[in-house]
Amino acid sequence: MSDRPETGRPENGRMAPWRIVAEHEVSTQLRQKSVRISAAVMVLGVIAVIVLSSIFGDKPSSYDVAVTDAQTSAVVDQASQALDEADEGATITARTAESEQSAEELVTSGEVDAALVPSADGYVIVGDRDISSELSAALATAVQSTVVGANAEALGVDLTALQAGATVEHRLLDPDAQNAGARQLMSFVMLLLFYITAITFGITIAQSVVQEKESRIVEILAAAVPTRSLLWGKVLGNSLLAFGQIGLVIVAALVTLRLTGFDDLFTVAGSTMGWYALFFVLGFVAMAGLWAIAGSLASRQTDLQSTTMPANLLLFAPYMIAVAAGEGVKTVFSMLPITSAMLMPSRMAEGSVPWWHLLVAVVANVIAIVVTVRIAARVYERTLMRTERRLSFREALRLSD
Amino acid sequence: MLQTRGLSRAFGGKIVVDGVDIDVRPGRVTGFVGGNGAGKTTTMRMILGVLAPTAGEVWWDGRPITAEQRRRIGYMPEERGLYPRLPILDQLVYLARLYDLTPADGRARGEELLAHFGLQDRTGDLLDSLSLGNQQRVQIAAALIHRPEALVLDEPFSGLDPVAVDQMIELLQREAGDKPLLFSSHQLDLVERLCDDLVILSAGRVVAAGTVDELRSRGPQRYRVVFDGADASTIKKQRGITVHQVEGSTAVVDLDGISPAELLAAVTAESRIAEFARVHQPLSDIYREVAS
Repeated sequence: MSDRPETGRPENGRMAPWRIVAEHEVSTQLRQKSVRISAAVMVLGVIAVIVLSSIFGDKPSSYDVAVTDAQTSAVVDQASQALDEADEGATITARTAESEQSAEELVTSGEVDAALVPSADGYVIVGDRDISSELSAALATAVQSTVVGANAEALGVDLTALQAGATVEHRLLDPDAQNAGARQLMSFVMLLLFYITAITFGITIAQSVVQEKESRIVEILAAAVPTRSLLWGKVLGNSLLAFGQIGLVIVAALVTLRLTGFDDLFTVAGSTMGWYALFFVLGFVAMAGLWAIAGSLASRQTDLQSTTMPANLLLFAPYMIAVAAGEGVKTVFSMLPITSAMLMPSRMAEGSVPWWHLLVAVVANVIAIVVTVRIAARVYERTLMRTERRLSFREALRLSD
Repeated sequence: MLQTRGLSRAFGGKIVVDGVDIDVRPGRVTGFVGGNGAGKTTTMRMILGVLAPTAGEVWWDGRPITAEQRRRIGYMPEERGLYPRLPILDQLVYLARLYDLTPADGRARGEELLAHFGLQDRTGDLLDSLSLGNQQRVQIAAALIHRPEALVLDEPFSGLDPVAVDQMIELLQREAGDKPLLFSSHQLDLVERLCDDLVILSAGRVVAAGTVDELRSRGPQRYRVVFDGADASTIKKQRGITVHQVEGSTAVVDLDGISPAELLAAVTAESRIAEFARVHQPLSDIYREVAS
């Protein structure tokens, strides 16, 4: 047993055991069809939610209006510009019809939303059964400003002087409140996805630990590499898988938001997704230790149901709080470790959060990671060879080696 | 040389292994024998460092063994274990990598070992689709995957049919070469056939240790004398022997103060002798003697 590496053992650049274990975890998981399918379902689910709400939800409107002459067409263009200023992305397109009659036919057939036709004392907006108030307001304003402008010019009146002081603007004190409904939906969906992903890969860590105990291969592994390497490898491998899945979901969500024209939401989402990702990473790693403990206390797969209970509750709590609790409770829990992973990003998506809340949440998570990972290493090392029965957490901590 | 010195282990106040000294010499097969609960598995686990000793040390070449040296021991645990739902070659490659082999080298080595057992066409099969005997073969391949420099095998032959036992012995003899090899077994006939040295453990203590020949000669010097046609009971009047058994023309006696040559001279002076031979005490007798 010389100290010099021999043939077949890479002299330098020897891979750390935890990396090999992590790689093994990732490849074993990806080999499983169920893992690939659940990731695909999740991504498709997010895409479907966004696409469906773009179809049924309130999106930037686009209207078609039939006109019979160029002058009216110009009025419609002006209305379109005004509408775009009020509601970004909304458009009104003028479609020229040969006669008033054919314009009305277009309305009846539903090809256009309305027709704008000149009449004796101005214009008539012709609709089929009803006319969108947004559209009719935009058209009316455009007609008025065009006609008033023309009249003022004919009378030699300075229109700007005439209208001076009559401007009315809108200003919202909480600009984030825009799209509140959509934001809430988004944060709810993200919360759900985080919950599912955290549970899925958390349980995978616990299973992977207990499988090695159950199949007894752990004794060979423990003889080959330090047990801590086994633990870190498992935590790292499954964390990477979880992050990968969340990453896929976030990218899919952003791309779909972009393609379906949810530009506002895209901007909001883009700025908070980074926080979503950060808090997910912190929260998941803080939980990983608990899942590993759950696995090492069990001696068989069936024991997991009871040993994973604390971790399950910890994950379910923020979910319930987010759905049911009041603002105050939510604020407190959004700064506590693990629960912050889900609550803080959803607070951020719904409105602005003071910076120190974020700082507290991040620091609390980092402390939690250090603590859980230490306890997990201790419990894992001591319980690994105890394959005969399920252990309690207190027993495990009392074990002497 | 792989040694243990004063190796001890207690579980919750109950001493399971008590000051065990073992010498596993290079190039020699050392059998580790003892009843159920004698402490063999616990001792082996401590040698591998999977279990921490309460007292005592494991030495390699006269000095306390390092973690790196420990990893160069090939280990087959009593509780067999591999991944049930992973192709057999893949698990060998994974273990090889944990032992610092390159993936390519691990693959080549895994294929070589599987081919030795005739499993070359099943490298992609899941472990749990193999028969128990074949799973055992994969298990020994797992112990040998990193070309270990010493072997510690806990009950390597249990559950194998005679053909598989022969294959296993052939492989071990080839792989062990000049390395120290320690294996435990209940099958004393196999131990007798394979071992150069023997350690007998009882209730956590070493009750006998040495070469197989030494241990065998510890008992009485027993000889069988076959008279050519004559009744063997005439031997009873000889001095310096204890008659163990007489049946027809055959007598079995223990020498008790005279040399084999003296006995032979004495009996040939009186009768024609057809056979005069040393009776080796079967290992099982020795085992029963020391372990009881």
